[in-house]
Amino acid sequence: MPAFDVQQFRQQFTFFQQQPDWVYLDNAATMHKPQVVIEAVTRFYQQYNSNVHRGAHQLSQQATALFEQARNTVASYINAQHLHEVIFCSGATAALNQIAFGLMHTVLQPGDRILLTQLEHHANIVPWQLHCQRFGVIIDVVPLTTDHQLDMLAYQQLLQLKPKVVSFSHISNVLGHIQPVAEMVALAKAAGAITVVDGAQGIVYQQPDMQQLDCDFYVFSGHKLYGPTGIGVLYGKTTQLTRLTPIFAGGEMIDSVSFVNTTFNKLPFRLEAGTPNIAGAIGLSAAIEWLQKINNKQIVQHKLLLLKEFYNGLTAIKGIDILSSSVHNAGIVALNVDSEHPADVAELLNQQKIAVRSGQHCAMPLFSYLARPGAIRCSFAAYNTLDDVNRCLLALEQAVEILTA
Amino acid sequence: MTLEQLLADTKPALLDIQQRDLTEIALAKDWQAKYRVLMQLGKKLPAIPEKMKQPELLVKGCESRAWLMHYHDKASDKHYFVLDSEARIVKGLMAIMLCLVNGMTTAELCKFDLWHKFDQLALKPYLSQSRGNGLLAMAERIKSCC
Repeated sequence: MPAFDVQQFRQQFTFFQQQPDWVYLDNAATMHKPQVVIEAVTRFYQQYNSNVHRGAHQLSQQATALFEQARNTVASYINAQHLHEVIFCSGATAALNQIAFGLMHTVLQPGDRILLTQLEHHANIVPWQLHCQRFGVIIDVVPLTTDHQLDMLAYQQLLQLKPKVVSFSHISNVLGHIQPVAEMVALAKAAGAITVVDGAQGIVYQQPDMQQLDCDFYVFSGHKLYGPTGIGVLYGKTTQLTRLTPIFAGGEMIDSVSFVNTTFNKLPFRLEAGTPNIAGAIGLSAAIEWLQKINNKQIVQHKLLLLKEFYNGLTAIKGIDILSSSVHNAGIVALNVDSEHPADVAELLNQQKIAVRSGQHCAMPLFSYLARPGAIRCSFAAYNTLDDVNRCLLALEQAVEILTA
Repeated sequence: MTLEQLLADTKPALLDIQQRDLTEIALAKDWQAKYRVLMQLGKKLPAIPEKMKQPELLVKGCESRAWLMHYHDKASDKHYFVLDSEARIVKGLMAIMLCLVNGMTTAELCKFDLWHKFDQLALKPYLSQSRGNGLLAMAERIKSCC
């Protein structure tokens, strides 16, 4: 097998030719799109644009075929058992909101518990919290160990409280830590819980296998998998999706309407109200088809190499407080410069054209736990090079020098 | 520490910034030099003690928090401010902002165009990215005092 050629891989992203001066390390926020994805979206608008599922004309049938083909691509990529188990939505946040809303109205009863973890993104906290008070549902939280990994012992203890739902991220969007997702799902299922996996960061790290993982729900955003923004996937097992009360109503999701009663269409349409993001779904499908031609093992290896180089470099810079562990890390490093505010460090990196994110990364509960005002987050992707790593390290050194002068 | 003391300490600091540092920033030979000065500005302003940072004084940026205290001297119709921020660069930029508005009358404050002023000082790029750093939120809070 030929070795991974990062330059050849990178050339497929027009962005880097347009912005050659920038080092882009904000991949956990959104990834760049290869040319094939941009072309697929453009081609749809130029050649096939029509609304789906409803048109009396052939153009609509063509658009529908492309849209449903996209569903097929996603379903086979994540190895869903049925096509209708792939629901298109605007992203992981929308998917989690639909799940929380849907289960609160049907499954959860006053006094029931749901189990989350300390390092969840707000999108996997607030949608639950929104309903908890009204429905009298209690949230429990899995704490972290001293090295900021999930405390699996505490997890098992909390499962003994028999939560109805367990919802957690595959990979922490702040720390990059990879959770033992298979083990966690198995334990939660053994405790009788409905399992929800937030795959927002996980999807690009590892091709998930729904039938093997056997979780009830899995969600992700297209734009973190080389796809367009505004498209995402809510995967659910048929039995679980059927239990969800739709959060949005109208359009294709309707079967019949009178002012007395409305009946809903079958899955997947029941949970896809309004005109879907057709071009987005087609773009995501193009991204997945393109990605399947690339050996993921090589990408994982390449990112490990970048990570190793980055950690090595960081230890040589004085006063760096690294929050992420270098083991079980998917390529995200959260760090601070000792006693400096992350906003200052980020601004000094910005001046040097290093794109990182700073702040609390939509994970305030994690930062109150870590007792830090926030952090700089450097997140690496397959198209990043060793040169990117070294430029970031040099820029960090320069920032430290200016801050401590 | 009282508001009066903070106001008294802020005034000479702003004068010093206006007379010395603004020129230094304008003459800075590279971005590093400019930022070194910027970061010193914040240090010149007195810090608002933690227990005085009441929630209603908070001006929220996306990445860092800042606080603004306002005093309107009714006799002279002049507005005076004290501010603080968690982030040094942001505090420096806010200090410059304060230099421009401190002691203004209500009518002057209402008319004040921060974008135009920052453009003159070649600092406009900092304003355009300020949704993140809270500079614009601070400008709006200051303007809302008139």
